[in-house]
Amino acid sequence: MARFFPLEVADIRRETRDAVVVTLAPRAEDRAAFDFTQGQYLTFRRDFEGEELRRSYSICAGKDEGVLKVGIKRVDGGAFSTWANEGLKPGDVLEAMPPMGAFHVPLKPEEVRHYLGFAGGSGITPVLSLIKTTLAREPKSRFTLVYGNRSINSIMFREELEDIKNTHLGRFNVVHVLESEAQDVELFSGRIDAEKCARLFKGWINIAAIDMAFICGPEPMMLAIAAALREHGLRDDQIKFELFASAPRRARHVVRTANDSGKAATCTATVTLDGMTRVIEMAKTGQTILEAALGASLDAPYACKAGVCSTCRAMVVEGEVEMETNHALEDYEVRQGYVLTCQCYPLSDRVVVTYDQ
Amino acid sequence: MTSDAADTMPLEAYLAQGGKLTTPENAPPRYRGELLRLMATFIDSELAGAAGFAEIINQGPGIKERIAASRIVLEKLDHAERVLAVMGEFGADISRYANHHPWAERVARDSDLGAARHGADMRLAVLHYPLQGWLDAVVMNVLMGHAVVIQLDEFTRLSYQPLGEIFRAILPRERRHKELGEEGLRKLLEDAGNRPLVAAALAYWRPRVAASFGSGSSAHFETQRKFGLRHTGNAELAAAWERQVDDVLRSAGMA
Repeated sequence: MARFFPLEVADIRRETRDAVVVTLAPRAEDRAAFDFTQGQYLTFRRDFEGEELRRSYSICAGKDEGVLKVGIKRVDGGAFSTWANEGLKPGDVLEAMPPMGAFHVPLKPEEVRHYLGFAGGSGITPVLSLIKTTLAREPKSRFTLVYGNRSINSIMFREELEDIKNTHLGRFNVVHVLESEAQDVELFSGRIDAEKCARLFKGWINIAAIDMAFICGPEPMMLAIAAALREHGLRDDQIKFELFASAPRRARHVVRTANDSGKAATCTATVTLDGMTRVIEMAKTGQTILEAALGASLDAPYACKAGVCSTCRAMVVEGEVEMETNHALEDYEVRQGYVLTCQCYPLSDRVVVTYDQ
Repeated sequence: MTSDAADTMPLEAYLAQGGKLTTPENAPPRYRGELLRLMATFIDSELAGAAGFAEIINQGPGIKERIAASRIVLEKLDHAERVLAVMGEFGADISRYANHHPWAERVARDSDLGAARHGADMRLAVLHYPLQGWLDAVVMNVLMGHAVVIQLDEFTRLSYQPLGEIFRAILPRERRHKELGEEGLRKLLEDAGNRPLVAAALAYWRPRVAASFGSGSSAHFETQRKFGLRHTGNAELAAAWERQVDDVLRSAGMA
């Protein structure tokens, strides 16, 4: 089960008009838990008007900097990122899980490799961590970054990237691609798409020499780049993705109404899976919601049937249920209406459950 | 990994075009369910397979054979643990999970489960049948070893990248298990007296392992394919397996 630790805000620096870099300090006894690997992210939680929000932000520090830093770009309408950009101050305490993620490859000091990174907007944060760590720990390796932004003012870590270039002369190269600004070289204007990649690989980047590629950005950009890399001979195991994770993808707020007093011995359960809805008459005892769904030939997901693995998780949209055992869902998920259907019996005369939310 | 609201696309379209997901937060609910189910099937099969094989170790005719069998048991447990760790990131209680079923339990030898799941865990049906001694275990391991390698090769491309990478790391070791099985089979066949016994074991295990590929047309496969969790159909994988097994048996003079 997830564990959260307090992290004190040691410093907060404005990076661009709508992005901040937050330096965080774990307690002395938690330091080992926050000994991150380059490219990993932290998941934070905070209550906003009674609802717990969780958001993940990538670590932008290198392993050898001795600090823990994340970059947080404000998203329109995003409660957490707006608060971090406007309300967060030094001395505040955030709660975070230990670093997670596998957006990295093991580094060896004797290796001579050429890495290629692609970042779109705030997708630079984990890539920056990779760049700094790689250049420090593999002194013979090189790193090329292709970095897409809307305009010059929205480039995060622009100065830091220049500094890295000067510190590691000849080993680090950055190509800025700006969407809404004309540049001297026409190739560097517009979006990073398949055509742009093909042209970059023709004159600017020797793709045959690339050992490993990292991509972090929005979905269409990642698809286009990955396709271009494959087309130019890279294997799947040479391409590492990190997908933006912050935008909530599912409906969060579910209003549940206790619609009756639950007097009957049976319940009318409405179960939705893959957009298909079945209405099932079931006894309130002896059969779980999962078993009822399977009995009605819905291919509902499950595995352990013991309340341990969470494969059978679904959301109760209406009605009351009782969950016998729960070793997998956290309190905040339960508050949102999630249940383990393998452990669930209806209490009310009518319940509405969906596996699709 | 912070977010720009613009420039995104529906996740279904992203996955359909070969996109990869990288964290539990990326995974929409139905994708999550299918991914966990796939992981549970793998973990339960490895745990049950290891438990069955553990009982065979001491029946190995020599120390080398017993080392090979021990290694297979050790590594299958290790593989289960690695995948279980990914499940843990989705919230599963991993210490409880490892012990929530009697993994060594088997049905009667003459039962017929078909491809259906049996009991309360997600192991492949073939792993419910009991092994009967060393020779039987070697034959089963050859047939199952080929099936596992084909299945894992399919999984290395799946859309949840952290899991795909684990399968990629595991694949060479599972391939080695298959080879150890083939070496064991060659050794057994040096004694002509074993031939009828091997033939009988093949007749018992081959249809049971074949059934573990699932049915040719399955709605479940379509769901997995839509999410980028599978790419090649069950029938196609099963046919590749049949061809490989035919080759192995031919070169062993058992065809």
